[in-house]
Amino acid sequence: MIGALVALVVATSLGLAAWAVVFVARDRAVVLRQLWAAAVVEALLIVQGVVQTVVLVRTGHHVSAPLFFGYVVAGLVLLPLAAAWAFAERTRWSSVVLASAAGVVAFLQLRLVQVWGA
Amino acid sequence: MRPTSGGFGRLLVLVYGVLALAATARGLYQVSTAWHEAPLAYALSLASGLVYVAATWALATDRRRAAWWCVGTEMVGVLVIGAVSLALPDDFPDETVWSGFGSGYGYVPLVLPFVGLWWLWRTGRAGADH
Repeated sequence: MIGALVALVVATSLGLAAWAVVFVARDRAVVLRQLWAAAVVEALLIVQGVVQTVVLVRTGHHVSAPLFFGYVVAGLVLLPLAAAWAFAERTRWSSVVLASAAGVVAFLQLRLVQVWGA
Repeated sequence: MRPTSGGFGRLLVLVYGVLALAATARGLYQVSTAWHEAPLAYALSLASGLVYVAATWALATDRRRAAWWCVGTEMVGVLVIGAVSLALPDDFPDETVWSGFGSGYGYVPLVLPFVGLWWLWRTGRAGADH
C-alpha cells in the first residue's frame, strides 16, 4: 500500500471537512467551490483505488478482497451522494453534512490501511 | 408538519445512509462468505442493513409512516439483538451491527433510533399548534 497516497487522500478530505466546519461556524450552506474541492477528493479516491488495485495484483499481497474493495467502493460512492445531499439543503446543516461525510471518507482510508495490514 | 429531510434531518439521513451502507455491506459479506458458521446471526446482520436502507429512504423522502415503522423496528432490533448477543455470545461468533448494543459502531446504532423517533415526533408536531 502506498502510504503517501493514503496520506494525501486523508489530508485533502480532512481539509475539506475543516473548510465545511468553518462554514458551520459562520452559519453558511455549502458553496459551489466546496463541491469542486469534493470533486478533487473524489478524483484522488479514484486514483487511489486504481493504484492500490495495481499494487495488489502486481505484488500478490494477500488481502481479503471483498473487505478491501468494499471500503474502496464505499468511499467512492459516499462522497458524491453526500455532497449532492448537502448541496440541496440551504441551511448550515448543509455544511454539517459535508463536514461529516468528508470525515467519514478520511476514516474509511484508515480502515483501508487496517484491512491491508491485517 | 415539517419535512423529515430538512435541517437537522439532513444530518440524520446522512448518518442513516452511512450505517445502511456499512451494515448492508457487512451483512452481504458475512452471508456470502461464512453463512454456515452462524446463519441466524448473519441473516439478522443483513436484515438490519436492509432496515437502515429503508429508514434512510423513508426519512429522505419524507414518508413518515414508513419512517416510524423502520426506526421502531430498528430500536427493537438493537435492544433485543444487543441483549441476546451478550446473553448467548456463542450464537454471535462475529460482530453484527446490533450485537453488544452497537458497540462495534461507537454505540451509534443504539442512540440513532431514539434520535430518529425524537426527530419524527418533533417534525410531526411543528405547525400542529397553529
